[in-house]
Amino acid sequence: MRTWLSILTIALASALLVFSLSFQLSFYGAMKESSLRVTDGFAQVQPKGYQDDPDIRKTVGNANDLAARIARIPGIAAAPRGSAYAILANGPRSFGAEVLGIDPAPDSELTTLHAKLSAGRWLRAGDSGALVMGDALARNLGVSPGDKVSLVGSAADGSIAADGLVLVGEFHSGIGDLDRQVAEIPLARFQETFALGGKANVLLIGGRSLDAVDRALPDLRRIANQEGLEVKDWGELEPALKQAITLDFSTGMIWYVSLIAIVAFIVFNALLMAVLERTREFGMLLAVGMRSESIAKMLWLELCLLALVGNGAGILLGGSVAYYFERQGMTIGGLQGVFADWGLPSRLFIHVTPASLLAGPAAITGTIALAGGLLFARRVRRIDPAAAMGGR
Amino acid sequence: MKRRRIRNVVLLAGAIIALGGWSGRSQVDAASILRKGFDNWRSKTSESVVKMTIHRPDWVRSLTMRVWTEGHDKSLVRFTAPAKDAGNGTLTVSGRTWMYTPKLNQIVALPASAMSQSWMGSDFSNDDLSKTESLITDYRSRILSTESAGGHKVYIVEAIPKPAAPVVWGKQLVRVRDDGVFLEEVFYDQDMKAVRTMTTEKVGSIGGRAYPIEIRMAPNGKPGEWTSVETVEAKFDVPLPSYTFTKSNLQNPRG
Repeated sequence: MRTWLSILTIALASALLVFSLSFQLSFYGAMKESSLRVTDGFAQVQPKGYQDDPDIRKTVGNANDLAARIARIPGIAAAPRGSAYAILANGPRSFGAEVLGIDPAPDSELTTLHAKLSAGRWLRAGDSGALVMGDALARNLGVSPGDKVSLVGSAADGSIAADGLVLVGEFHSGIGDLDRQVAEIPLARFQETFALGGKANVLLIGGRSLDAVDRALPDLRRIANQEGLEVKDWGELEPALKQAITLDFSTGMIWYVSLIAIVAFIVFNALLMAVLERTREFGMLLAVGMRSESIAKMLWLELCLLALVGNGAGILLGGSVAYYFERQGMTIGGLQGVFADWGLPSRLFIHVTPASLLAGPAAITGTIALAGGLLFARRVRRIDPAAAMGGR
Repeated sequence: MKRRRIRNVVLLAGAIIALGGWSGRSQVDAASILRKGFDNWRSKTSESVVKMTIHRPDWVRSLTMRVWTEGHDKSLVRFTAPAKDAGNGTLTVSGRTWMYTPKLNQIVALPASAMSQSWMGSDFSNDDLSKTESLITDYRSRILSTESAGGHKVYIVEAIPKPAAPVVWGKQLVRVRDDGVFLEEVFYDQDMKAVRTMTTEKVGSIGGRAYPIEIRMAPNGKPGEWTSVETVEAKFDVPLPSYTFTKSNLQNPRG
């Protein structure tokens, strides 16, 4: 009975770890991919120092050629983009905004903002004086699709960048800063208005997945170095997101370690009782010539078997629950606001990976095997055969 | 023993009075010295022609403009060269700023978020234009020391923002001559790190007064980046028409 209770304890803890880790790692992955896909891309090639001082005069020359060269890396795509601070005005109303110059076709492959259209249409290839902006910015300016918007900023040559544009669409990303402060215009118009020639400010990098782009970073860095540019990975593009994930994972680790320690103590307690009950048996084995190391090894093997059976059941149970949510997805009531802030979909799909499936159970097995082995070896060595057989 | 105690009390009281008097006089003097500097710079009204040079490691750009000012809160800047920028203008009245560009034939009010942005791509911000007397109104100033230069007494004035003052700087250090000519202004951020310096490169006589004819603003730690402003001609205390500082005059110059 005690053995079964120990197995059940290990199985439940193991299942909890499998599900929690699968959920946590999936949540981080979704946070990263969703957040980066909105506008940033999974990585960027930038002029040196652009991240800290995004001056419009810091540019990527021959942006289209470089994008084509990067796209030759298997599974990787690139899109040039311009970026500038400008004032958008409608009559007496004016607001500061980050104006992005995008090439609609490749940009739409790498970002998801176009899918969050709330009014009008998105930018198309061949558009010239068209503009899309966040719905909150449009509301503040008092404009809707079809209205004219004036743009005033500083061009790369130091002159005033001024343009009259027509709002063709509004987006609602759910991310306050984007909806209030971002507008996009065609890259060719951006280059003309801001006197950039054929240059861009950054190259957005995307691919099949964030992992694929992370694996391609060495190739990207080699190409960027040749051009006197630098590559910013996802953590550098979204430092706040990286810090949030690190902090959350650290907190989670404290919880996991505590859980493993509690399970280990419960199991040790149960097994210690079993050892005490079997002292007479061990005394007899020692008396007939069995060495204490062999008895400790036997106990250790029993312990490992217990841990393996319990963890096996836990992997099966936790993995099944996680797999169910991998197929069905899950919604968490009350967290829609947090999800929207990170650009996450309202339904989260858990992904079961070898790491999320095995890391927790492996930690439980390892802890029990290591600490239990030492504990029982010490215990058995102290048994006196005569006293043990006498029931003392 | 008793006599010594009385003597100590008298000495302490004297020291307190002396320090208080010094402190009060220092604050008054610092403010009046800065006021003198601004009066010398802009007078009641002024009309000038100014050449601005924006220098970067890889390019240089020069602009010419006409500038009108009245009191401490009204200014109108109209660019006359190069041709690409001719007609662009900036109007500031009571802290609000409007821009006009012939490309749009439209006046655009500068939002609050644009005030810290660069003005015309230079090292001056829109805030620098609109808050000309912020140094007097938003800061508490005191004289740190004095020195002599070019036959003038030069005051080194430290200005610390008043509590809740709407300013971005943590401190400003100003060197100003006894005749009101500003020689240097160092801007410190909230961590008390010097981030940019405005230096008078040339002092001369213009409009009948000693004047900082050429000043240069340079961000610290960015070699080769600076903006110089050279006053080519200036008239002070000239009568200006009442329409000078209006949006209609910004868009359709009458004079």
